[in-house]
Amino acid sequence: MLRITLTSVVAAVALVLALGPLAEAQQPPQPPPAWQQGRPPDMANSPLAPVAAPPTPTPAAQIQVNKIKLPPGFKISVWADGILNARQMAWGDKGTLFVGSRVAGNVYAVVDRGGRREVKVIAKGLVMPNGVVFKDGALYVADIPRLLKYENIEANLDNPPAPKELYTFPKEAHHNWRFLALGPDGKLYFNMGAPCNICMPPDTHANISRVNLDGTGFEYVAHGVRNSVGADFHPVTKELYFTNHGRDWAGDDFPNDTLHHAPRKGLHFGWPYCHQGDTVDPDFGQGRSCSEFAPPLLKLGPHIAPVGTRFYTGNLFPPEYKNRLFIAQKGSWNRTQKLGYRVMMVELKVGQPPKYEVFAEGFHEGNNVVGRPTYIEWMRDGSMLLSDDYHGAIYHITYQR
Amino acid sequence: MTTTGPSTTSPTSAEGRAPATVIARGGASPPLLLVIIVVVLGASAGLSAQTADLEAGRRKAEPCGRCHGADGNATLVAMPSLAGQPAWFTHWALIKFRDGRRKDPVMSPFAASLSDADMADLAAYYAAQPPRRRQQIVDAAKAEAGKELATLHHCTSCHRPDLSGQNQVPRVAGQDLEYLLKLLRAYKAQTAGDLEGLMTQAAQPLTDADIENLAHFMAILPAAPPSP
Repeated sequence: MLRITLTSVVAAVALVLALGPLAEAQQPPQPPPAWQQGRPPDMANSPLAPVAAPPTPTPAAQIQVNKIKLPPGFKISVWADGILNARQMAWGDKGTLFVGSRVAGNVYAVVDRGGRREVKVIAKGLVMPNGVVFKDGALYVADIPRLLKYENIEANLDNPPAPKELYTFPKEAHHNWRFLALGPDGKLYFNMGAPCNICMPPDTHANISRVNLDGTGFEYVAHGVRNSVGADFHPVTKELYFTNHGRDWAGDDFPNDTLHHAPRKGLHFGWPYCHQGDTVDPDFGQGRSCSEFAPPLLKLGPHIAPVGTRFYTGNLFPPEYKNRLFIAQKGSWNRTQKLGYRVMMVELKVGQPPKYEVFAEGFHEGNNVVGRPTYIEWMRDGSMLLSDDYHGAIYHITYQR
Repeated sequence: MTTTGPSTTSPTSAEGRAPATVIARGGASPPLLLVIIVVVLGASAGLSAQTADLEAGRRKAEPCGRCHGADGNATLVAMPSLAGQPAWFTHWALIKFRDGRRKDPVMSPFAASLSDADMADLAAYYAAQPPRRRQQIVDAAKAEAGKELATLHHCTSCHRPDLSGQNQVPRVAGQDLEYLLKLLRAYKAQTAGDLEGLMTQAAQPLTDADIENLAHFMAILPAAPPSP
């Protein structure tokens, strides 16, 4: 009896020893980094990867704005430099330009000192504080975890108050660096992007949503939106328009990034079932049809990365520019030849297809980055400010007849 | 379990020492031990092509040398080597210490006093220093187990196939074992500053044993400089 037991124990130990390494070798596959998710096995050696963000802003003198081509009469210059990773911009009432960032974790205040721009860091160490909106003396900042409010900020640029936390966003971080937009309804709009390249998202993600200015009254506005980082409201109809980034690793020319129109809340824009309004996803689109979803208004090009999306409401540019939608396209990474790296404009006229044309181009030379146009804000005189999160600078595009 | 640490015979400075020696022992008796004693000649071709930034960086790095080694090749346990790290990595790490996303009792106050230019100079200086393999005792069996894990968990996707790093992604090949363990555990605990959240995400499925094995694997690799 004793002998048998001992033998069994020895056998069991031997079995464990034999299985140990085997069991280890059979660990289940682990998710790749978010940017690589969805990459087909035959592209395992692809050199394509997101363009890394430099830790240093580029001095104005080294930025090659002379390479940017604009329509006749338009001129571009560097308006401010030294703003590491500059992203969305918003004007304060007293003339301060607030600027968000992504990986830099900073929120900046740019103050004009007699034509020289002074850059102050008013918040640091935040988690991708991309979205900024200014309203009634307060700066609203959306980083990944929270919606923050800095009250009476322009009087306290050198000693910013601790922010109030108005709203806590869901945890998933990827594609959740957010735009903020103030709606005609007085609500704050933001994206909660898909936490993946392609997946069945949690119910809380892949949408555009809104809250009241005090953080209450959360509502979903648009569903099936993979990754929107720019939106605006039509100056006349007051309806929501937004741009969206299509999935990666499905080819150099597929799918298109898209422009969408959401005249009412609750529409579903297709992702992850349907891409660019006309092609079902090979994995997630089984049994689904693109006709179930609200189609895009316009295909913007594959991988061009639309970011700043703003209607022109000023009076400086030629009259035909009024109410055109400008789309800053940061430019591709998941594409063999770079595409995007430009600012496009869309003319929207009732009963006519949208007219899509180049406004500013030349932000890449072959596969070299010259700049990455990121967000758009309007100067009071109607000229354009354009941020570049690669160079950490803001450009000024103005017009003279 | 193998206790790890620097060899007791390790010189405190590797300058002007003998070329690399690798002594491997083990194979017969478990736990399998690979004792690596490596002393590499300060193989720098000199800083003849240095720019003003590099020279400024060298001066500014003087207080850092006590922990990280004068040329960024640290010899103290749990101190990361900075030699040959991609400049963007070192620079971003300093930014994160300064703004509080990464916290350390020594580094946080030090980084608080640095300007952007200081950080750029320091990062450029360390990037230009040839990295050397650390003297440390690494468990070969764990390293072998870690090799597979590095592929399974896609470490090589961002850190490159030889784990030599690129852009803002650090070289982990040949890094200090205790430092690697500390950082991987912190990512798992979601307490390490993470530029884009990728490491925090990657560390979540790792078990304690996975972390040990991965760290031993990374530590055993040659500390090659990043390829261009």
